[in-house]
Amino acid sequence: MIRVLFFASLREQLGRDAIDWEAGQLADVSALRSALAGQDETWRKALSQPQLQVAVNQQLANLQCPVRDGDEVAFFPPVTGG
Amino acid sequence: MTADISIAVQAEGFDPGAEYNRLRRANFADGATAVFVGNVRDFSPTETGGHQQVSVLELEHYPGMAESALAAIARQAAERWPLGRVRVIHRFGPLRAGDEIVFVGVTSAHRQDALDACGFIMDFLKSRAPFWKKEVNKDGEQGTWVAARSSDEKALKKW
Repeated sequence: MIRVLFFASLREQLGRDAIDWEAGQLADVSALRSALAGQDETWRKALSQPQLQVAVNQQLANLQCPVRDGDEVAFFPPVTGG
Repeated sequence: MTADISIAVQAEGFDPGAEYNRLRRANFADGATAVFVGNVRDFSPTETGGHQQVSVLELEHYPGMAESALAAIARQAAERWPLGRVRVIHRFGPLRAGDEIVFVGVTSAHRQDALDACGFIMDFLKSRAPFWKKEVNKDGEQGTWVAARSSDEKALKKW
């Protein structure tokens, strides 16, 4: 399983802060995003935002970053701390 | 010499004076201390150029990654400048106008290194640490997520 987390406006759009997803044949973050987006229109819209950022195992990553069973992947809008 | 780095991500407030004193306690090697404190404003600029009242700022964070991201930024600063002590505090949860949100304090032998390291940490914190702000106005409506500014991303280029 891959633990997928969502934060801020993305969490609100999806109405949830996490989902567990079967790692299966998913090669990278991009494939994971496509699989999640394929669930329905809400997911497709939320995950198609061009500004979306991603972290894999709590490190900033990009769509080409490989993922595997046991990973924690987070999607979120651009950060606005400080 | 390795810098003494201390990071905190917390809901509780902090006392900037006490934090400064801690940076200085028995620290006779560093002649310079640079401190930045960020506070909640009671307004936010609107798209039309006006101002809108903000009564509560909600700070969301990614537990675990927030701490490690701040530590990584502090370590980068300590590799780049000769720093004695580094203290970074970032709060989360509901904050009110005037409240402290963030504290960055660094000590170094010389002024320019301390000032640069403090600015570097703040610039990277704003664009790389997983925190998100939501503004709630007086009517207590559901609130508006603060949009990231392209000027914050540009600020990284100067380093």
